[in-house]
Order: sequence, then structure tokens, then C-alpha cells
Amino acid sequence: MRRAERPITQLPAPLIWGFGVILFCQLLFHYSSQQRLEASYQALENPLQASIYRGISMGSDQLLGYLLAIRLQLHDNQMGRHFSYSRIDYHQLVDWLQQITQIDPASEYPMLLATRVYSNTPDPERLKLILKFVERSFDQDPQLHWRRLSEASLLAKHRLGDLKLALRLAEKLALQPASVVMPGWARDIRFLLLADMNEFESAIAIVQALLQSGAISDPDEKRFLEAKLLDFRQKLIETQQSGKN
Amino acid sequence: MLGILSRRLLLLTLVLAVFAMLVGGFFSELAIINGREIVVALVADFLRYSLGLFALLVITTSVAQDYEFRQFERLLTMPLARWQYIVAQVLVIASLCLLLVLPVLLVISLYSEWMVGLYWASALWLEIFLLGLLGLLAILSLEKIPLAVCFSIAVYLLAKLSGLISLMLGESVRFSDGSLTSRFVDFIFGAILYLLPGLESFADNNVFFGNGDLLQTLSVQFFSTVIYALFLIAVCLVDFYRKEFNL
Repeated sequence: MRRAERPITQLPAPLIWGFGVILFCQLLFHYSSQQRLEASYQALENPLQASIYRGISMGSDQLLGYLLAIRLQLHDNQMGRHFSYSRIDYHQLVDWLQQITQIDPASEYPMLLATRVYSNTPDPERLKLILKFVERSFDQDPQLHWRRLSEASLLAKHRLGDLKLALRLAEKLALQPASVVMPGWARDIRFLLLADMNEFESAIAIVQALLQSGAISDPDEKRFLEAKLLDFRQKLIETQQSGKN
Repeated sequence: MLGILSRRLLLLTLVLAVFAMLVGGFFSELAIINGREIVVALVADFLRYSLGLFALLVITTSVAQDYEFRQFERLLTMPLARWQYIVAQVLVIASLCLLLVLPVLLVISLYSEWMVGLYWASALWLEIFLLGLLGLLAILSLEKIPLAVCFSIAVYLLAKLSGLISLMLGESVRFSDGSLTSRFVDFIFGAILYLLPGLESFADNNVFFGNGDLLQTLSVQFFSTVIYALFLIAVCLVDFYRKEFNL
């Protein structure tokens, strides 16, 4: 049996007022704690020039490059708390990555941070900044960074939904001279994207050219290309027929 | 000197190496790639600076004791030339450096390839040897341990940071629109650089990240060190021969 309750209006007034004041204090305290936490986030500072870091390193420039990259990687962890990447100023972040790359151009660490860590942002503008950085770095050393550019192309397709950008990046990969050694799949991203964009004729032309050039020696890759060629031809016919109907 | 210090030396080197490994291990856990290379590079640099400072302290203390206990006066009463004392000190420094780098060879070889360990031990020997000679010159001239150690460290750091200082002075000239003072300071520093060892005289930490020809890097450092070491020994001789001792 449920015990009967007295109406709130019958409670002593000081108790009601006291409860209200304490509730207000609790809410105020919680709000100010949140504000304090917000304020405690230390934004990224501007990096120095790479030449200054090289001077400071006293000859251990590659080690300093790695240590700076690790420091940057830990920036979102402050005072025992993890802060969202949305708080990071991506312009400064890219500037840091750029300087670290200049300190040690042979290191893949900044590019890895860019494509694997800082690409996890829901903001398309920030992601575009990261992709531009990857593209710039690839232009400077295609042999070292082809893997990261292929990742960037996939990020542009799947995360940004920007097939044109993805295709542009994939074309950069595909059009590299043979002296830039990379597996066939990296160059194949271009025609796969063209097919995604329903550009079957271009995709067919590229695959045919690849097969006829004699550059493909791996039988598995040859089989894959031939299967794709058949698939694209089939899809082209279907598209043409649906267009006529 | 070496006999008394060997046990302490081994213990201290071990403590330093363990500490460096712990710090390196922390960074290795954080690194996404090349964790092992970062650890070994960090440990190597840690050992470089700690052993360098240690060698400097041992050498300056040893010569300072010769001053304090009037060993020079006693030695000069014997049929010994002054240059022989300098040569003996150089040999002591070389042996001390060898003792110091042997554990380094083991530690680095454990973490990295033995070729890299051998390179680092040889390069570190050359670097500490140079620092030791600098310490010898400083203590012979200044006669006081704190002064000699500070002077040696200042010269060592000046040589290592010469690139940064030149950059700053260059920028200063640019920002002051080529003012006479800035250009004068830049000129003076440029002249001082001629009397300092270049960065090629020091062990190259970048080898731990797998680029560069070890033998070529070591030969460049070797020739650079030999020339600078001869210069330091010549200055030591001039300074020592000029000293008056009350026999």
C-alpha cells in the first residue's frame, strides 16, 4: 500500500527555499566546472621555423622531428583529459605538420598523423586542409608518400563524398612515372573511381591501355583487370540501354 | 685515476643507461611508427651528453689535483719534458673515453644493429675525446674546476648550436636593415666559428633512422676530429710551456 504524501505547498517554506538554493548552487557549480574545463584547454601555439628546430636539435634533427610529432600527437590529451579534435585549429595543426616534415623530410610520421589521426574529423573543411597537406607532401616526395595519397583519395571518396577530389588525387598517383615504384592497385584507384562516377568509357580506355601496354606482368593483376574490363563493358551496355528506354 | 674510477664509472653508466632506456621506452609506447629507432636514438643522445659531462669532470678534476698537490713542480724536477706530460694526459683521456664507450657499444648493439652500435661507439669516442681535450686545455689555462667545466661546456654548446646562432644573427642583420652593429656581431661570430669544431666533428644521431653511409660519416668525423684535436693539443702545449712553476 502506497503511503500518502503531503502536498509540496504544505512543506515548511525554509525547506523549499533551502532546496531551491542548494539546487541552484549545484547547477552553478557544475556549469562553472564545465567553463573551467573549457578554459583549461591550451590551444596549439605557432610552431617555430624548421631551420630553428634543426639548430636547437644540435645535430639530432630526426630525433627532434619524431619527438615534436609525438608531442603534437599528445596535444589532445591535456591534464589527464582527452579533448575533441574539433577544438584544434587545423590551420595551425597543418603548419606544425609542415614544419615537422621540413625538419625530417624522410619521415612518414607527420603524414601518418595526418591521414590516420587528424583525418578523424567530422568537419569537411578541416579534412580538406589535411588532404591538401597530404597532396603537397606527395608532390615533394612521391616515392615516400604514395601510400598516404592513396589513403587521401579514399578519404575524399568515403568521408567527404567528393568523387572529383578523390579522382584528382588518384590521377596524381596513376600518372606518376614508372620510376616511382608502387604496387599496381595504387594506380588502379583511378579507373575504379571513374567507374564509380559512371565514366565507364574512360575507365575501359584506361584498363585497355594498361593491358595493351604490357606493363602488367603479374597474372593475378592481369586477371583482375580483365574481369574489371568485362564488368565495365557490361555496365556501359546496361547504362546505354537504360538511356534508350 | 682510471683504476679508482672504474667501479663507480661502471655503476654510473649502468644507472644512466637504465634511466635512458626507461625514458626511451615511454616514448616508444607513444610512437605510432619507428618506436625502436626513437628509443635507441634517445638513449644514444642521453648517453652522449651524460658521458661527455662525466668525462669532462674526471679530466678537469685530475689535472686540478695536479695543481693542488704541486705535482707539476715535482714532475719538472724529474728528467721529463713538458710535452711528455701533455702526451700522457692525451693518452689518459683516450683511455678514459674508450672505457666509457665500451658499455655504450653493448647497449646500442642490443637495441640496434651491431654495425650501428659500432659506429655510435666509435663516433662517441671521437666526440668525448674532443670534449676531453677541450677540458684539458681549459683546466690547464684556468686552473679552477668550475671555470674549466663551464668554459668547456660553453665552447661545446657554441659549436653544436652554431647553426642556430648563425641563423639568428643572419635574421638580426635582415631585420635591422643591415645595421653596422648587427653585421659586426655576425662577422665576429663568423670568425669565432673558424676556431670551433663543426657539426661534422660530432656523432650523427640520424644514423639510427637508417639513412646515410656509416663509414663515410665516420671518416668525415675522424678527419675533422684529428685536425681539431691537433689544434687543441698545440694550444695546450703553448699554454703549458708558458706557465711558470716555482721549482
